[in-house]
Amino acid sequence: MSAQTLEDTSGTNSPDSPWAVETHGLTKRFGDNVAVNDVELLVPRGCAFGYLGPNGAGKTTLIRVLLGLTHADAGTMSLLGFPVPRHRDLALARVGAIVDEPRFHGHLTGRQNLQILAAARERAARDRIEPSLERVGMMQRADVRVSKYSMGMRQRLGVAACLLGDPQLLILDEPMNGLDPAGMHDMRDMIQSLVSEGRTVMLSSHLLDEVERTCDAVAIVDNGKVIRQGPIAELLAGAAMEVQVECSTPDRARSLLSTTPFGTHVDVEASGLSIHLAAGTGRDVIAEINRLLVGDGIDVFRLQEIQVSLESWFLQVTSRLGESA
Amino acid sequence: MTSVFESATSTNAVGSDATRDRRGSWLPNGAMIATRFMELRKRRGLMAALIVVNIGIPTIFLTIRLILHVAAPKSYGPAGGYDIFTGIVAGVMYVFGFIVAATLGCTAGSVDLTEGMFRHLVITGRSRTALFFARIPAGLMIVVPMVAAGFTIVCAVCVFAAPTKLDYQGVTVPAGLSLKGLETWAADHPKEVVCGLPYQGGGQVNIPACFIGQKGQVVTPPGAPGLNSVPLATLKADAVKVAQQDYVDYSQHFLSPSTSLMVKAGLWIELEAIIGLIVGLGLGSLMGQRTVAVILMIVLEIILTPLLSHAVIPHLINVQRGVVGLATAHLEPGGLPRAFGGGGGGGVSRLVPESTTVAVCVIIAWLVVWSGLGAWRMSTRDT
Repeated sequence: MSAQTLEDTSGTNSPDSPWAVETHGLTKRFGDNVAVNDVELLVPRGCAFGYLGPNGAGKTTLIRVLLGLTHADAGTMSLLGFPVPRHRDLALARVGAIVDEPRFHGHLTGRQNLQILAAARERAARDRIEPSLERVGMMQRADVRVSKYSMGMRQRLGVAACLLGDPQLLILDEPMNGLDPAGMHDMRDMIQSLVSEGRTVMLSSHLLDEVERTCDAVAIVDNGKVIRQGPIAELLAGAAMEVQVECSTPDRARSLLSTTPFGTHVDVEASGLSIHLAAGTGRDVIAEINRLLVGDGIDVFRLQEIQVSLESWFLQVTSRLGESA
Repeated sequence: MTSVFESATSTNAVGSDATRDRRGSWLPNGAMIATRFMELRKRRGLMAALIVVNIGIPTIFLTIRLILHVAAPKSYGPAGGYDIFTGIVAGVMYVFGFIVAATLGCTAGSVDLTEGMFRHLVITGRSRTALFFARIPAGLMIVVPMVAAGFTIVCAVCVFAAPTKLDYQGVTVPAGLSLKGLETWAADHPKEVVCGLPYQGGGQVNIPACFIGQKGQVVTPPGAPGLNSVPLATLKADAVKVAQQDYVDYSQHFLSPSTSLMVKAGLWIELEAIIGLIVGLGLGSLMGQRTVAVILMIVLEIILTPLLSHAVIPHLINVQRGVVGLATAHLEPGGLPRAFGGGGGGGVSRLVPESTTVAVCVIIAWLVVWSGLGAWRMSTRDT
């Protein structure tokens, strides 16, 4: 273990850092298993950031390392500009987090659990108990024992616990787990409202659809390593493009396109053609395809660029592509 | 509602609160202690069990004695008194107080982990050591008053329901007599003394066979010569000899416990309870679970400590001296029966010998080491 790399080499705080989370070479091993492998992660402030990966990819372990729930074996990291673990107390003062399933003392009410957590924070946190409960819609059940709560209610209470510290950074590990569709909708709205207040929300999930709807940027982690990161729009722009063509003679159209550089991946389907274009292909190629087909006397009824989803892109870039194929 | 969140976007505010509230300090703040106290106090099942063991059992025992005495005073003696007090304190409250406190300590040391709350607390940035140490005063705030409540009930009953006459070895004797007074009383009641009080020999006492009956009367077995055959002067002289020999033992019998003894005994059982709480807390934190920790504490108190306190094992005698139960037994106030058995009245001790200084050092070492182990484990535990 290179313990010295875990220390803050600069020795100075930089709370004005543009990154809410910054890691370099972060590594965590469990025996021979490298759960977090040399992770370089930059989470910009003020956005919803998705941390995506298949089950067992090391998402939760990275979060546990960031929050000081377990120790890193190598690398450096900072939260809100404060190097951790050296200034863990300063960094976590404005961080709220849910790790795994949120669990509380079942014999206490939701409000009493929050009182315990607020007591460990600054004095002002005690004044935030009521607003936090109100914000997550738990005022009516705040005085019911947590053992009577549903999973969704515990998730809400977990978010309320996060809000006690008036956090600049929220780290939510699978916050949609156990929520019904209405609950997921509420959670999505809450995340967006938190971001709109200038907070950073780092969202770990394997629900790609939810992440795509909620987040501005993502990092993809696989086998403990971050393999892609950036704004979703930019990442998807670099993904392979698909164009669907509905035409009069699909077989003839395929033969024609196979003679062109962009016709190497053409599938004939019932309604026409499906053309797969390489990543980075410009939209002018679509017009060129149209010109070629019309010029050869083929009637084109519909020509549509299919937007690549985060899910299909995720499958392309992670090792799970082979498994799902 | 949003006003309390307004500073969220201010980067300058980051860490300022944490600096002000000394979040990295190993010392817990008052609110942490208060909420931890609330968390423990709200465990209804645990609290009920602790109250039953610590307050309920002595109360029920004394209540039954009170009822029996009121219903049949000739068959059942007074509910309170010195003997009842010493028996309950050394035989029940001392051991039960430890177990009660240890159970609470093991619970306080492990439930945050088992109930998943520890993660939430760590994420606040608060020092893990402070999270651990908040449990000690919180636990004491429960254990100390609870032990005190049980002890107060025992004291009250033993003082206010104490016998009006001292029943010494089956003979009703006035309490608090000096040696001269006891000799005078013995000369006035020679038959009761020579037939009822123990005599170890060494003098000229040679009384025909007799004993004190169940109703306090002098009884001579059928066919025995009877006390009337002995001259009264001889009888009185023999009674004085018996009184002189028994005086040391008699002087340790009282109608009710003295204030001094009650204060010392109260402090002693509180000390035992505090030790139980802190050792249990450390063990619970170290193991991360309650049940096994509680079982180990009970085994320590009711099996290992009595065994190691009395059986002198030459090669392990210093290990035996390191047992905390033995150390606290050595600090037991005089006038109580020896803890864990082994002699009574604070007289000759059959415990493994140990100086008071060593006993105090052993107790301090146990408190420091177990607190340190618990705090270390909480600070290093992955969660």
